Amino acid sequence: MNFQSVIAALHQFWSDQGCVIVQPYDTEKGAGTKSPHTFLRALGPEPWSVAYVEPCRRPADGRYGENPNRVQHYYQYQVLIKPSPENILDIYLNSLKALGIKPEDHDIRFVEDNWEDAAVGAWGVGWEVWLDGMEVTQFTYFQQCGGLDCRPVSIEITYGLERLTMYLQNVNSFWEIRWNDQLTYGDMFLQSEIENSTYNFEASDPEILFSLFKLYEQEAERLMKAKLVIPSYEQVLKCSHTFNLLDARGVISVTERTRYIARIRNLARQVAQLYLKQREEMGFPLLKSDRDTTKAPVEAA
Amino acid sequence: MVTFLLEVGTEELPASFVDEALTQWRSRIPARLADQFITPEAIDVYGTPRRLAVVLRGLPAQQPDRQEEVKGPAAQAAFKDGKPTKAAEGFARSRGVEVTALEIRATDKGEFVFVTQTIPGRPVAEVLTELVPQWILGLEGKRFMRWGDGDLRFPRPIRWLVALLDDQVLPITLVNGSEQCSSDRVSQGHRVLHPDPVVIPHAAEYLDCLRAAAVEVDPDQRQALITAQIEKAAQSVGGVALVSPRLLQEVRDLVEFPTAVVGKFDQEFLELPAEVIITEMESHQRYFPVLKQADSSELLPYFITISNGDPAKSELIAAGNERVIRARLSDGKYFFDVDRKQPLEAYLPRLETVTFQADLGSMRAKVDRIVAIAQQIAKQLKLKPADQKQIARAALLCKADLVTQMVGEFPELQGVMGEKYARSSGEPEAVAIAIFEHYLPRGAGDTLPQTLPGQVVGLADRIDTLVGIFGLGMLPSGSSDPFALRRAANAIINITWAADLPLNLDQLLQQVVSDFAAAYPQSPLQGESLLQQLREFFLQRIRTLLQEDRGIDYDLVNAVLGEQDAEAGDRALRDLLDLRDRAEFLQTIRRDHRLDAIYETVNRASRLAAQGDLDTTPLDPKSVVQPRLFQQPSEQAFYEALLKLVPQTRAAQANRDYETLVTGLTQIAPVVSQFFDGPESVLVMDDNPEIRRNRLNLLGLLRNHARVLADFGAIVKS
Repeated sequence: MNFQSVIAALHQFWSDQGCVIVQPYDTEKGAGTKSPHTFLRALGPEPWSVAYVEPCRRPADGRYGENPNRVQHYYQYQVLIKPSPENILDIYLNSLKALGIKPEDHDIRFVEDNWEDAAVGAWGVGWEVWLDGMEVTQFTYFQQCGGLDCRPVSIEITYGLERLTMYLQNVNSFWEIRWNDQLTYGDMFLQSEIENSTYNFEASDPEILFSLFKLYEQEAERLMKAKLVIPSYEQVLKCSHTFNLLDARGVISVTERTRYIARIRNLARQVAQLYLKQREEMGFPLLKSDRDTTKAPVEAA
Repeated sequence: MVTFLLEVGTEELPASFVDEALTQWRSRIPARLADQFITPEAIDVYGTPRRLAVVLRGLPAQQPDRQEEVKGPAAQAAFKDGKPTKAAEGFARSRGVEVTALEIRATDKGEFVFVTQTIPGRPVAEVLTELVPQWILGLEGKRFMRWGDGDLRFPRPIRWLVALLDDQVLPITLVNGSEQCSSDRVSQGHRVLHPDPVVIPHAAEYLDCLRAAAVEVDPDQRQALITAQIEKAAQSVGGVALVSPRLLQEVRDLVEFPTAVVGKFDQEFLELPAEVIITEMESHQRYFPVLKQADSSELLPYFITISNGDPAKSELIAAGNERVIRARLSDGKYFFDVDRKQPLEAYLPRLETVTFQADLGSMRAKVDRIVAIAQQIAKQLKLKPADQKQIARAALLCKADLVTQMVGEFPELQGVMGEKYARSSGEPEAVAIAIFEHYLPRGAGDTLPQTLPGQVVGLADRIDTLVGIFGLGMLPSGSSDPFALRRAANAIINITWAADLPLNLDQLLQQVVSDFAAAYPQSPLQGESLLQQLREFFLQRIRTLLQEDRGIDYDLVNAVLGEQDAEAGDRALRDLLDLRDRAEFLQTIRRDHRLDAIYETVNRASRLAAQGDLDTTPLDPKSVVQPRLFQQPSEQAFYEALLKLVPQTRAAQANRDYETLVTGLTQIAPVVSQFFDGPESVLVMDDNPEIRRNRLNLLGLLRNHARVLADFGAIVKS
C-alpha cells in the first residue's frame, strides 16, 4: 500500500464514520492536536467529528536525514470525535482492516500512555496502540484543553502515518517509503530534511527568532482584544513554533524556558476562553439537532 | 448457599491499576460484607486489562436474622401499679410490638423499658444491589478520567457489567451522561481472538466461560503461564531469560491470553553496551532479554515478548517485533555513534539547558557547585594531588551525559553512558568509573561506590542537593520527599562509613552553607538556621541508620547522639566514623557483658552529676575537687582513682582507644561503688553546700571520663 493510498483509505474509512474530512491547516505546528480543528473544537458542548492529515514540525528532532526513524517534519493522521463513542476501540480496529491489517493475525495491545502538552494547558489519558510491538497509534480522551475542562470528552486518535506505512511496506527507513508507484518519501523530502535540520540547528538566527516571538505574542494579544479568535490562535501557533526553533538552537536557558512556556500557555488559555465565549454567544450552533451529522451508523466488524 | 459474580468490563486499564484495584477489593469487599453480617466461604478477585471481577462463593442466600435491643422510657414512667402507661403503649406502638413484649431492665441510670426485636435478614440479592456500585466507584487510583458526556470517573471507560447471583442477573446500573451501563450475563471475550459476546449461564462458570473465550481472568494463573513459557522459550534458543519481577507483573496485566514469542536480532547489535540493549528491550518494548547463562551479563541476540495474539500467528508476530527491535537498536547504535563523535567534555555547555531546580538554576550551575564541594572534601580528607585532580575532573564531567542523545532517550542510563563515553573520550579510567559510581547507591540495597573519586563526587553531588533544596525551604515532610533528600543523606552517611572516610561533615556543611548564601542571597533559609535544620536532619538519619541498619539498641544510640545534647550531636557530625565505632563498641560490650561491670555505677554517677554544675570537659580532679573537704576515706579513694584514670582516659581520647577507657572505668567502678554504698559511703547531697559541690564534682568527673565514650546517663540497662 502506497503512502498516499494509506491516507486515501483512512479518509474513506473515517468519512464513512461520519467525520468531516478537512485539509491540513496552513500554520506550522508540532502536532495535529494543535490544529484548531482539534484544539478549539474539543472545547464546549457542540458535537464534532473530524479527520485530517497534519504536517508536524519538531525542529529538535531533525537528524539531517541520517536517522531512519527520526525527522523534524512528518505527517500525522488525526481523528477527533466528541463525545467519545462507546465502541470507539472497535471502530479503530476496523480502520486497521481498511488498511489491510487483520487484527486477528497480530498482537494488538493498548498500552497506557497519558498525554500532556503543558504549553497549551492540555492533557488527556489513553494509550499507545502496539501492533506486534510497534507503536502505530496514539489514543487520547481529552480531559482539559487550554486549561478548560472538556465537557463532553472528545476522543483523539493519531496515527503515525510513516510508521504505519513502513510496517505495511516492510521497509526500514522513512526515506524508503513508497509515496506512490514512482516516488519515495526520500525522493520528495530527504533534501528538505537535510536543509531544515541545518536551518534548525545551525542557520537560524536566534536574534530574529527572539524578535519574531515577541512580535507574534504582541499580535496575539492585540488580535484577542479585537475578539478575532482564529487569527489570534494562529499567532499563538507561531509563538509555539518559534519557541521550538529557539529550543532546537539551544539558546533558551533554563529559567527562560519555563517562562516562555508559561507565556504560550497563557495565550492559549485566553484564546480557548475567547473561543468558548464566542461559540456560546453564537448559541452553540452545532448543537442544533437538524444539523446532527456526527452520529453516523458504525459498520459491524 | 449461592455464588455471586461481578465483572466490570472496561476499555484497556493501565497495567498498574489492575493490581491496585484487586488489592483494594481483597480488603474492602469482605469488610463491606461483614458490615452487613454476610460472610462468604471464599472471595476471589480476578482481573485482566479489560475487566475486574470478584466471585463470592458459599454466600448465604439471606442475611442472618438479628436480635436488636431498643431502649424505651424509664420503667417508672412506663408502668404505674404494674399497668402500662401511655408512654409504654406509645413506645410499643412505635416499635410495632405488643405492650406485653416490653421488658424492664436495670441500667446504671436506673430501670428502663426495653424491647428485643428480631430483625429479619434481607435477601443477599437486595444487599448486594446496594453495595456493588460503591465497590466499583469507590476504587482509588492515580489518574482517573471522564468519558462521553457524563461525570463518572474511572481509570478507563466502563463498558459492560456482569452481575450474576447463581443463574440470575442482579440488576445494577451505572449512568454516565447519556450512556447507561446495565448489568447482564453478557461478557466480552478476547478482543480479536473471540469477538463474539460471551454469555455466562451461572456465576460459578465464570472462569471456564472466559477461558473458552481466550481470556485467562486469574492473574496468578496468567503469571504462572507466562513464567513457564518464558523459561521454555529461552531454552529453545539455548539461553536463560532475564526476568525482572516488575516487568513480569506489568506484562501479566497487559495481556488476556499470553503466548511467549521468541524473536532474533542481528549479532552486530551486541556491540552496543548490554545496558543499552536491555533498557531498549525492557522499558521500551516490554521484552525479556535472553542471557547466555544465568548470572552472566552476556546477551544472546534474542528476545522474548509475551503476545496477546493468536499462538498460531506467532511467526508473523515475531517478524513484526523483530523489525521494531531492529529499528530501536539501530537508533541506539546511531545515538551511541553520534554521542561519541565529540568528547564528553564538549557536552558541558548544553547542561545550561537542563534544569536542576527552577530557583537553583541549570545542571551546568550544579556541576560547578559539585566541583567546588568535591574540592573542599578532597582538601579536608588531605587527599593526594593526583587523586584531587581525578576528583575534580570526574566532578566536572559527572552530569555531561545527561545531554547526550542516548541518555535523552533512556534517562535510566545516566552514569552508565557517562562512564562509557568518558572512556572513549580518553579520560582516565578512574574518572570514567567515578562518573558511573557517583550515582551509587541508586536505591535501597544497591552497591556503594568503591573508588575514592566515585565516593567524593557522590558525596559532593548530594551535599549540594541537600543544602540547595533545604535552603529553598523545601524540607521533606511525612511521605513527601520529592527530591529524595532522605535517601541522599542516608547515602552520604553510608558512603562515609563504608569507605571509612574521616569526613568532618559539620565543617563541610558550614562551608557549603556559607557558599550557598553567597550564591543565592534571596533564598529563604540561610546561615545558622539552615545549618541547624541540616544538622538535625542528618542526626535523625544517623539515628535511623544506626538502629535499623546496624542493629544498635535505641538507648545506646541515645548515649552517643544525646537526646537534647547539642554537644554530642556536633561531635557526631564532626566525626562520623568515631560515632559509628562508639555505637558499635557499646553494643559489643553489652553483648559480651563488659557493660555489666560499669553500667550501674557510671550510670548512677552520670545522672547524679547532672545536679551539679561541673561542665563536661574537665577530667583532672586537681582543679575542681578539694581533698580538704573529704570526710570519708571513700572520697579520698575516689579522688585517687580518678587521678590514676586521667592519663589513661587522655590516651584513650587521643587514640580513640575505648577498650582502654572501659578497662579504666572497670577499675574505678568498685571504688565508686564503695563511695555510694560501702561501709564508709557518703551522702552526696550533704547539707553543707561546699561538701555537696565537692562530691558532685567527683561524680561529674567520672561522668566526663565516661563521656569520652558516651553519655552513660542515657543507657537504660546493662
